[in-house]
Amino acid sequence: MEDKEKRARKYLNPYLGGILLGIVLIAANYISGRGLGASGAVKSVVVTGVNTIVPEHAEKTAFYKDYNESHPKPMKSWLVFQVLGVLVGAFISGSIAGRLKFKVEHSPKITSKRRLIFAVLGGIFFGFGSQMGRGCTSGSALSGMGVISLGGFITMAAIFGTAFALAYFFRKNWI
Amino acid sequence: MNSRTIFSLVFIGLGLIIAAIPQNTTHPYKISAEDLLIEANSRTQYFSPEELAVLLINKDPSIQMIDVRDPEEYEKYSLPNAINIPLSSLLTDEWVDFIDQDVKMNIFYSNGSLKANEAWLITRQLGYENNYVLEGGLNYWAEAILNPEAPASTSPNEEFAKYDFRKGASMALGGGALTSSSSSSSAAKPKITPRAKKKRAAGGC
Amino acid sequence: MGPLVVNGIISADTNLLMAFLIGIGFGFVLEGSGFSSSRKLAGVFYGYDTVVLKVFFTAAITAMVGLLFMSLFGWIDLDLVYINPTYLPSAIAGGVIMGVGFIMGGFCPGTSFCGLAIGKIDAMLFVAGLFVGVLIFTEGYPLWEEFYKSGFKGIPKLSESLGLSDGLLAFGVIVVALGMFYVGEWTEKRFPRKEY
Repeated sequence: MEDKEKRARKYLNPYLGGILLGIVLIAANYISGRGLGASGAVKSVVVTGVNTIVPEHAEKTAFYKDYNESHPKPMKSWLVFQVLGVLVGAFISGSIAGRLKFKVEHSPKITSKRRLIFAVLGGIFFGFGSQMGRGCTSGSALSGMGVISLGGFITMAAIFGTAFALAYFFRKNWI
Repeated sequence: MNSRTIFSLVFIGLGLIIAAIPQNTTHPYKISAEDLLIEANSRTQYFSPEELAVLLINKDPSIQMIDVRDPEEYEKYSLPNAINIPLSSLLTDEWVDFIDQDVKMNIFYSNGSLKANEAWLITRQLGYENNYVLEGGLNYWAEAILNPEAPASTSPNEEFAKYDFRKGASMALGGGALTSSSSSSSAAKPKITPRAKKKRAAGGC
Repeated sequence: MGPLVVNGIISADTNLLMAFLIGIGFGFVLEGSGFSSSRKLAGVFYGYDTVVLKVFFTAAITAMVGLLFMSLFGWIDLDLVYINPTYLPSAIAGGVIMGVGFIMGGFCPGTSFCGLAIGKIDAMLFVAGLFVGVLIFTEGYPLWEEFYKSGFKGIPKLSESLGLSDGLLAFGVIVVALGMFYVGEWTEKRFPRKEY
């Protein structure tokens, strides 16, 4: 128990963390007039990648054509800069707390290979879903709730509701 | 448990305060007189009859015609799918969601352009966006589109091109004299759900 | 009067710098609260670790209350803040698909970036999956374009839909959130799991 407590103390108190996160969200709204996000930056990178590597394809395919018309400089976006900041901030926090370590985090009951396979699959689903849902938990759900958006609450309910419903089938991976 | 109780009480307390105080509904972003003058003089708020004709022929869904004349005149003749907001009732609650929105482009029109311009000035001063004026009003519309005048044989080519376009528009829009009644039922109010005016700070997820 | 960039108080380029700084704060708090650990994130679905619930909803109610008070004091014009437009079918469908991804991968994009930053290899693979998922969406876009663009509802607020004022709704959310925290704490005691 002592070991767990030692490690638990290294994480912030979740309520304090929540208040701090809420303050960050307020700052984003106050300064930049928008909330936080994450998946949009992935989209920017994908579009930029396609534009650079296979520009002929980008000119022919519907999505890239529309997107490039409305976003002439996909990488010079607020979200991309914000995500870069996230990487830095997480790194700083991790190093202060001594959590920097290359490892595959998985339940002791499964192999790390299994964990990694599910991680990739989960990412694919999430990537697709975030585009369909116009946002992920940070962008749509969290920021949406902060400004009382109906869409934010709906997306949040859909994400967490589905995950809860399916939790039983994936329980072996976690507990 | 103590810190959690404090946490809960603080939030309940703040919540009660914010729930009790009435909603802050000011539109602080109104336009100054100088800016309004510049905008009015720039004439960017005008749609020419030709521009409108193109939009109507293409059944462009992003425009909304607003007839600011009296109801009797509206009943006699109105442009396709126009709604009637008499100038005197422009600022009533009934219509605020139509003139203060960011989904469609509203085009005010009247017989000349006096009333339409008044509507535009008033709504612009309140900071509402997406409102425009049909240049010359219905009088010019009839003259230019519905019954275009053939240019003299010595006129430059552009005049002929413009005339051809107007003739085509006239046929597409049911030209002739101003006697036809409005094409759609003007009684039903188009469905617009209330939306607050938003200026996109930046998009994305 | 906020938002600063919309009212021209800071320039668009300064805004990008601000984005970076805000991101640092975001990443720092997320990681510090333990969101770089997929096991902690998945814990809310099994009851052994409800940190997601606590942080998420505390942040939501803090931001809600904070923004409403700031609007009250005239420090910010909430009408100028960007809100994601609501397209009902795609919001729900996207949410469901994301839910599948969440329970499978144990991350969401923001937290996966945090995990990546501290060296979690499962987070890195999740991020790789994200790119693939986005690519599938963009490549096959014409297949779902119509669905994606259907059901536009504008930018409705939950308070409008329920016929409440913003303040009343915020109060309601606070009460619900506090209730959920209470339940969360109870499940943590009931279903403990070793943290690793």
